[in-house]
This record gives sequence, C-alpha cells and structure tokens, in this order.
Amino acid sequence: MKITVLYVGGSLPAPLKQAERDINRKHKIGLELALHNCGVSLFDKAWDDAARDVATSEIVFIIHVTDHENASRIAEALARGNHRAVIAINCMPELMRRTRMGKLDLAALMRSRGEKDESSPAGVVRRLGTWMAETMRSRRGSTPTAEAKSGAKHGGFAKYSGLIKRLPTILRFVPRAGKLGDVKNYLLLYSYFLQPTPVNIRSMILYAIKHYAPGQSRLRIPAPEVMPSEGIYHPDADELFESLSSYVKWSRTRGRKLSRDNTAGLLLMRPQIISKSRRHYDRLIRAIEEEGIDVIPAISTFMDNREACRSFFFHGETAAVSQIVSLTGFSFVGGPASNDSEAAVEFLKEMNAPLRSMVSLDVQTIESWEASRLGLNPVQAAMQVSIPEIDGATEPFVYGGMTGSASEPIPIEDRCRKIARRLARWNRLQTAPRESVRVALVVFCFPPGKGNIGTAADLDVFPSLMEILNQLRNEGYEVNVPRSADHLRDLVLDGLEDGSNSVAHVAYRMSVDQYRALCPYVDDVEAEWGGAPGKINSNGRDVLIQGIELGNVFVGVQPTFGYEGDPMRLLNAESGAPHHGFMGFYTYIEKVWKADAVIHVGTHGALEFMPGKQVGLSSKCWPDRLIGELPNLYIYSVNNPSEGTIARRRSYAELISYLTPPVENAGLYKGLASLKETLDAYRRSASESEREQLFEAIEEQAALLNM
Amino acid sequence: MPESSLKSSRDRRVLDLYDRVLEIEQRLIPTGLHVFGRAPGFREIRSLLRMVASFERTTAVSAGAGRETVKALTDLVAEGLGLFDYATLLKDSEVNEQRLQERERVESLVSEAVDLFVADRAFHRAAAHLQERANVTIEESQRVFEVLARVRTELEKSDELQSLCRALRGRYIEPGPGADIIQNPDVLPTGRNTHAVNPYTVPSTTAVKKAAPIVAALLERHRSETGRYPESMAMVLWGIDNIKTQGEAVAQALNLMGVRPRRDSLNRATDVDVIPIEDLGRPRIDVIMTVSGIFRDLFGATMALLDKAVRVVSALDEPDDLNFVAKHVRARMKDDGASLEDAAARVFSNAAGNYGANVNFMVLDSQWRESDELGDLFVTRKCFAYGRGGDSREARALLDRALSRVELTYQNIDSTEVGITDVDHYFEYLGGVSKAVEKRSGARPRVYLSDSTSPGAKVRTLEETIKLETRTKTLNPKWYEGMLSHGFSGVAEIEHHVTNTFGWSATADAVDKWIYDEVAQTFVLDEQMLARLCEMNPHAARAMVGRLLEASGRGLWSADESVLSKLRESFLGLEDRLEGVTA
Repeated sequence: MKITVLYVGGSLPAPLKQAERDINRKHKIGLELALHNCGVSLFDKAWDDAARDVATSEIVFIIHVTDHENASRIAEALARGNHRAVIAINCMPELMRRTRMGKLDLAALMRSRGEKDESSPAGVVRRLGTWMAETMRSRRGSTPTAEAKSGAKHGGFAKYSGLIKRLPTILRFVPRAGKLGDVKNYLLLYSYFLQPTPVNIRSMILYAIKHYAPGQSRLRIPAPEVMPSEGIYHPDADELFESLSSYVKWSRTRGRKLSRDNTAGLLLMRPQIISKSRRHYDRLIRAIEEEGIDVIPAISTFMDNREACRSFFFHGETAAVSQIVSLTGFSFVGGPASNDSEAAVEFLKEMNAPLRSMVSLDVQTIESWEASRLGLNPVQAAMQVSIPEIDGATEPFVYGGMTGSASEPIPIEDRCRKIARRLARWNRLQTAPRESVRVALVVFCFPPGKGNIGTAADLDVFPSLMEILNQLRNEGYEVNVPRSADHLRDLVLDGLEDGSNSVAHVAYRMSVDQYRALCPYVDDVEAEWGGAPGKINSNGRDVLIQGIELGNVFVGVQPTFGYEGDPMRLLNAESGAPHHGFMGFYTYIEKVWKADAVIHVGTHGALEFMPGKQVGLSSKCWPDRLIGELPNLYIYSVNNPSEGTIARRRSYAELISYLTPPVENAGLYKGLASLKETLDAYRRSASESEREQLFEAIEEQAALLNM
Repeated sequence: MPESSLKSSRDRRVLDLYDRVLEIEQRLIPTGLHVFGRAPGFREIRSLLRMVASFERTTAVSAGAGRETVKALTDLVAEGLGLFDYATLLKDSEVNEQRLQERERVESLVSEAVDLFVADRAFHRAAAHLQERANVTIEESQRVFEVLARVRTELEKSDELQSLCRALRGRYIEPGPGADIIQNPDVLPTGRNTHAVNPYTVPSTTAVKKAAPIVAALLERHRSETGRYPESMAMVLWGIDNIKTQGEAVAQALNLMGVRPRRDSLNRATDVDVIPIEDLGRPRIDVIMTVSGIFRDLFGATMALLDKAVRVVSALDEPDDLNFVAKHVRARMKDDGASLEDAAARVFSNAAGNYGANVNFMVLDSQWRESDELGDLFVTRKCFAYGRGGDSREARALLDRALSRVELTYQNIDSTEVGITDVDHYFEYLGGVSKAVEKRSGARPRVYLSDSTSPGAKVRTLEETIKLETRTKTLNPKWYEGMLSHGFSGVAEIEHHVTNTFGWSATADAVDKWIYDEVAQTFVLDEQMLARLCEMNPHAARAMVGRLLEASGRGLWSADESVLSKLRESFLGLEDRLEGVTA
C-alpha cells in the first residue's frame, strides 16, 4: 500500500511519519508513505523522485501546493496516473480539479458554478475547491484598490472561514451511503486536516485507506479530535490557555510579571502548535525569556492577526505588549492569500507597537540555507520578507526550519539568541531614561577623500546632523550641540590626524589587543587583509576610529570599502571580508563606546553591501557581524526604495525616509536664454527678410552653444 | 533649392531648436539639497505642484478614501480647448508651429491655475479660471486640486525628526512606498520606513501597457539610424526603477522578446504568453540582461520569469530572421554543441552575496590604464548566469560570447530626480557594459536611454542625454548656485557631476570637447568662482581640477594648451594650500 503526500510547510511531515509507523505497527498493512515538500519548484532528481512516487501510488494527497511550476507538472502527472483516489486540499485550482474519490469529481463540481446551493454538501466541497483562487483574484498587488479590498474581505476567504466553522454541523446531515458518500468522505478528510494533531493525521491517512484501498473497509477510525482555534501557547504549560487572564495567572506562578513594557507578543502558526511541530518556537520563546523579557505566544488568527492581537495582546483597551513578533511568515492582515497593508498599518499605529517578522525555513532546509550564498530562496524571500515589509515589519531573521533528516522544524540556536538580544535592546530603547541613552550617528565618506566627508544623495548632512542633535537635546538626551553646522564639520574634519592616513578626527585608538579581545571575527578578517591593524584606518599599532564624541552622542565616519590604492581587490569576482578598520569601527561603537542604537545618516553606506547572504543572514555574513546587536535606524532618501531595502534586509535597518530636494524647471541662462528670444522673434515675425536675418542670427547663436 | 522648400527647411530647423530649448527649459532639476526635518519653501512647492498636476495618476484623493484615477490638468485643459491630448501636442510641437502654440497655451493656463491655487490656498479661483478659459468643469479640476492640496499639506508639515525620535524610542514606524514625489505623491509624508514591492506582482498591467511604446520608440530610433533591427542588445536592469514603476523595465525586456507576462490562478506573474509574430510586427530581439545585485535580491521571482521567457522564445518554431533569440540559441547548439542551458543563458548578475560592477571604483580611484580594463572588470563582476530557482554559476565565456553579438545597449530611466551624471552607478553599469561590448564585438554599440518620466515616450542617445544633463545641471547657474548655497556639500556635489561626466568619457567616449571646455571655464578659469569653491571645500575643488587634468592626460579631452596651463597652476595652488592646512 503506497500513498504519496505532496505538501508544503513544516507542520505535516512529523505527524505523517508518525502515522506511517503507528499504522504499520497496529494494522500491519505494509503502508509506504512517500513525502515531498513542494514549496519550491522541483527540478531534475527531486522532481523525478516525486513523479515516480506519484506514478506508483494508490492514493495521492496534495496539500497546500501553490507553486505554479509544480502545480502544472503535478496536474499532468496525475492526469496520466490511474489512482484509486486523489485528494487535493487548499491547492491551486488546477490541482483542486484533480480530486477524484469514487463518484466525486471536483473538476466537474467546480465547473458547475452557481448551479448548486452553497449550503448543500456538494456546494460546500465546491467552495473548498475555489476559495483560494477567489481570494487571490481579489488582490491587486501591494496597494489594493477599494474594490479589491472589499473583495478580500467579503469574497473567498470570509465565506471559507464561515464554512470551516459550520463544517461539523454540515457533516452530521450528510448521509454516509449513496451518491453523497464520497462528498462526505472529502469533507471528513478535510476535517482531519483542519486539526492536524498526530492522531488526526493518522486518521486522515487511515480514512483514505479504508474507503479507497481494497480490502480495508473494516478499519475503525476515531472521529476528528477538536482543538481550540485560538489561545496562548507556552512550552512549559500542559495545555493551551484560552484567555489572557488565565495565562497571566499561570505566568505569575513562574515569577513572570508580564508588564507591558517588558513583554513581547508572539504570533505562532496553529498547525505547528497542534501537530506538535514546534521545537523552533519553544527554543525562541525560551531564548527571549532568558534575556529577561516576558512573552505572550498567541496562536495566529492566520488571515487576520488583528483578532489574535485584540484577544491576547490587550488588557481591555490597554496594550499588553511592547513589541509584536510574527513567526507566521505571512502578512499581518490577509495571510498567505493577500495583504491588506493599510488595515495592518492602521492597527499597528494605533497600538504603537513595532512589528518584527521572522522566517522559518519551511520550503528549504537549514542545510541548503547554510550552504547557499543566496540565503532565502526567491519563494521564501517574496512570501516571508517582501510582503511583511509592506506592513512595516522589521528584523527579518531566520530562526529555524526544516532539515534534511529531522521531520519537524528545529531552531537555529545562534539566530534565536541574537533575535532575543536584539529584542532586549529595542526594549531598552523604549524604557530607558533619555539621558542615559547613547546614540551613534554614522556619516559616510564616498568617494573616499576629505572633500566628501558627510556626503549623501540629496542630503546636506551637517545641517541635518545639527537638526537631529538639537531635537535629541530637546527630547532629553545628553548631547553637547556644537555652535553651527560649520563648527560641527570642522570638529569632524580637523584636529588630530595622528600622522596617519585617516581623513577625519580620531576619536579613539583601539589597540590590537583590545580589538582581538572584543571582536570574535579578527581571524576571518586577517585571512583576507593580513595581520591587524592593517593599513587602512590604522597607525600601524592601533585601529583608528574616526569621529567625535558629543556627550552621549557619537558622530562617527564610516570607513570605506578599502579599494582605494589597492587595485587587485577590485578585480575579484567575489569580495571577501571588510578590513580591520571597518570591523574595528563597529566593534568600537557597540562594545567600547557602548551605543544603545546607531543611526546611519543619508543614502548610503557600505555596511549593508558587505558579502553575505542576500536576506535571511547567518552568523557568517558580514553585515550581520558588523551591526551586531545594535538597533539600526537609517535616514534614507525616499526615492531610493531599492538600495534602502537592501539595508532593511541585510543590516536590519529601520528606514526613516527623507524628502528629496526641491525640484524646479531648469530654466534658461546665458546664451540659451538669448537663443530662445531670437527663436521667438523668428516665430512672431511676419516679414520674410526679417526672418532670414533672424535665422542667420539663430544659426550663429546655436553654433556658439554647440547645438 | 527652391525658395519655398528652403523656407520650410528653415522653419523645421527653428522648430527643432525650439523644441530642444524647451526641453532644457522645462526639465526638472534639483536646486539644492534637503536638510533633514526641514519643509520645502513656497517657490519649490509651486514648481512641484505644477509637475504633479501634469500627470494622470491613480491615487487616494483624500485620506482613507479608495483609490481612483485623477486626470492630468494638462490633459483636461487640452481637452477643454478641443485640442489633441497633451502627449500628442508635446510630440508634434517638434515639427509643427501650430501644435507648438497650442502646447504653450495649455502650459501657460495650467501654470496660471496652479499659481492661483498656491497663492489662495484654495481651489475656487483656480478652478473658475480653468472653467472660464478652457471649459474644464469645476468638478473635474477640483479632483486634481484635492490631490495638490494633500501634497502641499504633507510637504509643509515635515515629520522626519519626530519620526526619528519615535524610532529611537523603539516605536512602530509606518511603512511607505519609495519613489519620486511627482511619480507617486503617496510617498508623502516622509519619515516612514520605505518598502519595496511583492515581486510576484511585477510587471504590473500598467507597466506592460507603458512598455510597448517605449520599446517601439527604441527600436524605431535604432532602425532610423541603422536601417534595421538590432539582433542582440544588452539591457541594464536595476531595482530602483522597477520598484517605482512596478516593473516597466522588466515589461520592456519581455516585450522586446515578444512575450507578455501571464498571471497564474493565484494572480502571480509566473509565466509568459507568446505574442504571435504577426501581432508583434517585428522580429523578437535577443536581450542580454545585465542585472544589478539589488535587482537579483529584490526580484528573485522575476529573475526566474525572465529566464523562462528566454527559454520559451528560444523554443519557438520560427524562422531565424523573425526570432533572433531562437536563431542564436540554435546556432550555438548546432555549431558549438552547446547545451541548452549554456546557449540560452541571458540573465547575468554578480556572484550571490556580492553587489556592483566596481567600474565606478576603478574610475574614481584612477586605477585603470587601458579603457578595456573597465569593460573587463564589468564582465568579471557580472558573469554569473542565473537560471530557474535562483541558482547561479560563473559563466564568463558565456557572457563574453553573448556580448560579442550586441549592437545596442540600453537602460530605462524613470526618475526626474536622479540623472546619469548625478550618481556613479549609471556609468558603472551602462558605461561598463558598453565598454565590454566594444572590445568583444569590435565596435562601440549604440547606447540609448529611455525617459519614461515625461508624458509621451522618449528615447535619447547617451550623447544627447549627457548634453541635456550638462546644460540643465552642471553648467546651469540655477543648479550650481543652488548647490553652492549648501557650501561644503554643494562643492562636493559639483565635483561628483564632473567626475561622473568623466566616467562617461572613460567608459563610452561620449563627452564632447565643449563640455569639458565649459566646465573648466565655469568653475576653474573664472577666478572668483574658483576662490569660492576653495573657500567652501578645497578638497573637492582640488579633486575636480585633478579630474579635468586626468581627462586631458588620458586623451579624453583635447584641451587648449592655455586652458591646461591654467588648470595645472590652479591645481598646484590648491595642493600648496591644502598642505598648508594640514601641516
């Protein structure tokens, strides 16, 4: 008996594998369960293996497959096969149409649009087959029109979720025998799938075997277990909490106060919780608690997380959390099917809690992510990063995922710890008295050279710094504001240069010993640039940190890439590490000067373009190492969303956009202005001889202007 | 030549010159730098609103309302006066005196109305003016003025500093789109966390619609100059314009190959439909896409779509002279026994995790001897072929080979704010690839840029674009005085423009002698000016003079000896002065 399950995500493999073991032990039917994660397009061997399993199976399940390439090829493979049953659940329409169970032909049913009563059992099955495409059709990109929004709200999904709630009731009235038997079977299989506990997943498989494989009709299968659809989860608790107050009570027994300014609200996926595929959640939750932050891990309400937030992140009207950490990988409102970012923004603004969105590797393995220079594959990057960003989500960290060997997602230890520490840093920014908060402002110097210190696209940097310093002082930060922008620039530009090759004031000399003691990556830098401190930003003994201290504000000059005067480095197809001066600069800011936050000033610097994965960085990626645990704000030109997005993803920056400079019509000047006058005179003139003369003048003027 | 045709050729010349003068006069330029947290002034707001009013757009008319299409004031006025639409007037005024007069009439009415609106802080008089003078109904113009009112209010209250402080308190920062204000006023208010787009939505239906006329203009321009279609071209793809326009350049690449995106049942652009050759009305062009590292990262799904398009087109059973993609792929497979993978590799970018062609660094730091080194560096950095699933491999020989067939290089420019001498990345990419083609094909390719900012598709050669940039910015007192009002940074800005112009000499030999002559005249030979520059930022002043001397030294500018000796003298003076400063 062979069954193939083509699925997507991290919650199904573990219960499926357990089901295979349990069924073989108890029922001895020689079940072979072949599993293929179809989250990304399968090519070559991966596809050949899947196709062979599909061809040799009696029953095929297809669950959550939405990859276009996979969908069309699986649909073809199914058309060729001769299966006892094909059961598609929440897939692309072309796959839903392949559902064949006895007399049930979903393709025919889906064609019969409008003919069947919505509430009849067959109408329900049809709705289950079409809701996803209808929901997606109502979406038009990232900024939905009013019409599309109402479509998303009132269209496919709303009807779907209403249906899901009514499903048990509906099932009670569908007769088991006769024409509707197969319809009833589909709805029952669907009910098991909706509550993917290990027992239910086993029942789902057994149910399909009982009804569609020969000689198994005597199997006895329990009715679906029903699990709460909402609640708070905690790895140390035996059961889900149905209300915030019961969770608070329990937390107090553990010595967790859950005060608003020290509590992070986590959004978790329900299938992972109830299928017990949650080791990655457990570790992240504990890592956050280890940093002294309390958590409320709520089950995500999937299509609209405002509901979960209202139920579990509020005491009445008062917010109960200081940050929201979404582990769903989907948009805040709209789930995987659409994104209503306007609604999300409105809600988050009102709540005034930042949204962090983290990534679980569900359609690629941790091994492939580690080995990949790209990091997240394009499917995950689009779904789990691009779309949450539109809601204003920040800190796109990978925290866990599937592996080649284990059947459930596991945590990535160093990422979980880093996430937790950064959350703690952000928390400190929220709560610390302003006079104790230390801020590093970083300006750039590109192209390298003293004449370019503090240059940025479209921005006059030193006057901008003055505006910021004054504002910070007004807000209670301890800052010594220089007399004027010119004065500030003189302070940064001039002063001690140490006979070195630094272009600005040297704020600190970091000895090689200190650099080594504080920075764990020195060996990797040396492999590329030779022994510390190297030649750039160095006096031969120390790493030189360029900048000035103004009380609790440091104005630093970011070192350059280090290409100048070193032509060979430019010629590499792939770049290596940043130089010691660069690494030392950020080591200084975080660990010597002990900044609470860094603000990069102007478009744009070099940190976020250092080598490493494109997004979903690991601890080996240079931008991740350089920014460390520092909250990173980045003052960025509003007309540069592309390079700005690189900063968001690779250096965990939160952008604060700035206006582009005033634009005006270029107007005319000097010879161009007189040329236009002569041209106008020619156009107005009615006299042929005058026009002739004017034309000569025009040609003379044009020649002078090289026109 | 008979008298009448002489007269008409004179008239044509006058109209052509007039058009070029108007192009300069009306081009938008930045007239300074932004200071974080400061709102723009009255005059700047007025110019901006005039431009905002000149584009049709889909936007939320008021906060919280749904999005709707708001027509351009220029089109409303043209329609009200019973004239052709504004884009047609713009195009025809190059050759037709009457259209030119009509265009001027439309523009001055729009200007008057916007001035009234700005002065009154209310739309009534402005709308009445347009109703009376141009038969535009109050109802219609009011919708435009509502957009203008919103833009104005948001410009006047700058939230940038408050937003920064909120972020520093760890609070939620609203997301917002990124673009030019004129292109998309929804970027206001600033002080928000700018985001990109969902790659599966790209290219949008609008982008696909807008791509067709630009591609037609590009190919027409090439055909009018060479008599035929290009078989192979190289196209630079960046993230920035494709985010702002929801993928216009992507749509152009697809259109060049004669396909359009197909949306799957979940509304994602994941596949292509072939445009039948009879509908296309021209051959399918072989497009080599050299892609920035940023585009690769932000548009992973789109990379796969472009690769798929090449595969689909190369597999079509069409004759060689109608399908240059298939022609070249078939030839490579047959003649050299290349695999399909190799023969159809067209999407090239950096090694994963790396960014940039580095050509700019090499030019800025004067690290090259022969200009071919610049093209070679481009190939070294960009020779990673990307295929399905985001996989890449180093494929230098494939890129060399592909570029050896290229006749035309091209990049889409979408921005009124960022021109090709404003930043070093344009010569890094378009210059870099052109130089690489020159060595590999044995001839410098034709280099074109499109300008999708103005109403009506416009394609210019690189040389035309450099002249326009130089005339409207570098040599324009309005521009450089605006910059100089910012002192230190302003001088740096001028120096960057000179250096970026030089970058186009180094990579494409596309800068006329007079441009360097005028730059030297304006900033160095004018002693008063030089003194001002030195006072504000001697480092940048020295760098600029040094760059001019480098242009001459490398034979990219045949400067007059008298000019050169003055430059040398100034350079030495600056060196002395700076040594004195630092001693």
